[in-house]
Amino acid sequence: MNEKQKNIWMDWRLHTIVLAVVVLTELIGTHQFTVGPGVILLLPMLYAMVIGLILFFTPIVKEKQAKNAEPLIILGVTLLIAKIGVIIGPSLPQIIEAGPALLLQEFGNLGTILLALPIAVFLGLKRESIGMTHSVAREPNVGLIVDKYGFNSPEGRGVMAIYIFGTVFGAIFMGLISGFLATITPLNPLSFAMASGIGSGSMMAAASGSLIAAFPSMEKDIIAFAGASNLLSLSTGLYMSIFIGLPLTVKLYNALDRVRSRKGNLQPQPKMKKKIGG
Amino acid sequence: MKNVQEWILLLGIFGVATLIGNWIGYDVLPLEAIPGMLVLIGIALAGLILAKVLPWKLPSVAYIGIIGIVVSMPWMPGSEWVIRSTESVNLLALTTPILAYAGIAIGRSWTDFVQLGWRSIVVASFVFIGTFLGSAVIAEIILRAQGII
Repeated sequence: MNEKQKNIWMDWRLHTIVLAVVVLTELIGTHQFTVGPGVILLLPMLYAMVIGLILFFTPIVKEKQAKNAEPLIILGVTLLIAKIGVIIGPSLPQIIEAGPALLLQEFGNLGTILLALPIAVFLGLKRESIGMTHSVAREPNVGLIVDKYGFNSPEGRGVMAIYIFGTVFGAIFMGLISGFLATITPLNPLSFAMASGIGSGSMMAAASGSLIAAFPSMEKDIIAFAGASNLLSLSTGLYMSIFIGLPLTVKLYNALDRVRSRKGNLQPQPKMKKKIGG
Repeated sequence: MKNVQEWILLLGIFGVATLIGNWIGYDVLPLEAIPGMLVLIGIALAGLILAKVLPWKLPSVAYIGIIGIVVSMPWMPGSEWVIRSTESVNLLALTTPILAYAGIAIGRSWTDFVQLGWRSIVVASFVFIGTFLGSAVIAEIILRAQGII
């Protein structure tokens, strides 16, 4: 936080608006409806974001409030990560016991970079694609990107886009693809059970639920493998992103971007490369 | 020092919004959840300060996550109290004010956001498929190597 942003705590207009939004959205509460193998979750936080956005386009919120809101997102995320930390702590013994298969399987989460990043770049996305594809964009990953690049950065927008998609449609999407992939590929259902744990309770429940529906005799093993892997993803996800995922994504993005800008020019001029990440 | 004061004030304001949401949405009286909220604020603050003081260029969330795990792991004296008190602060009660602030802040770059549009749906699909397949393939290899399947 720099000098210009100080005394944000005195922006009572902003804090009152947010408090009112929180009260209203928590009163509405959580609603969910079942679609096929999963559920669509409508949470107070989603209404809160939509209402916040609508308010931005009314005279109630001014440019100043929108600017002052950014450091509060970052501080809010620090509390969220603290909360996730104290959720993980008590299960540390189980995580240590989980064994090499579960631990190594966490590296599979990097598959998202290899598969989704080239597609994002191909679709013409710029640095947004770094935020979008460096991880599955759950809370710890959002925290990392916002902390590192800021909320109103291309990377920040990218990670938020995937976070919102995952929150609303993640469960139903995982439910659909897990049943589908487990039946058309030769991989063992237990491998898919481990893969179901991607660090979100609702997505894991939907993915493992479809697996159980397809392989009912393996129910107990599927639940155990999915649960342990989910816990592990939640605990290692942030550090996996910091030390491997994000640096790898940035490197790969720069390389892909270089290829893209070279193709964009009719005559390749390697010495006059476009500014990377422009 | 000025920074630390600012952090405390802002975390406090954020905490109040969370406690009220926690009360309305999850029926936990604010008085009951105050100790847990203070613990979370303390962990966050410690991490923010560490990130500033220590020479490594790690993001503050890295420290905050580790501090949270350390103070609540079973071998830590007092961890039971930490777990019990923070249990009364609901995870979703924290995310609601975050996204309320985020909605307001997103307005400034809304046109950029809209431009992502349908492409973000395509990319999101591959993000989830990539993780799922990647993890399944590695799990398959290791489980086979161990002779479990």
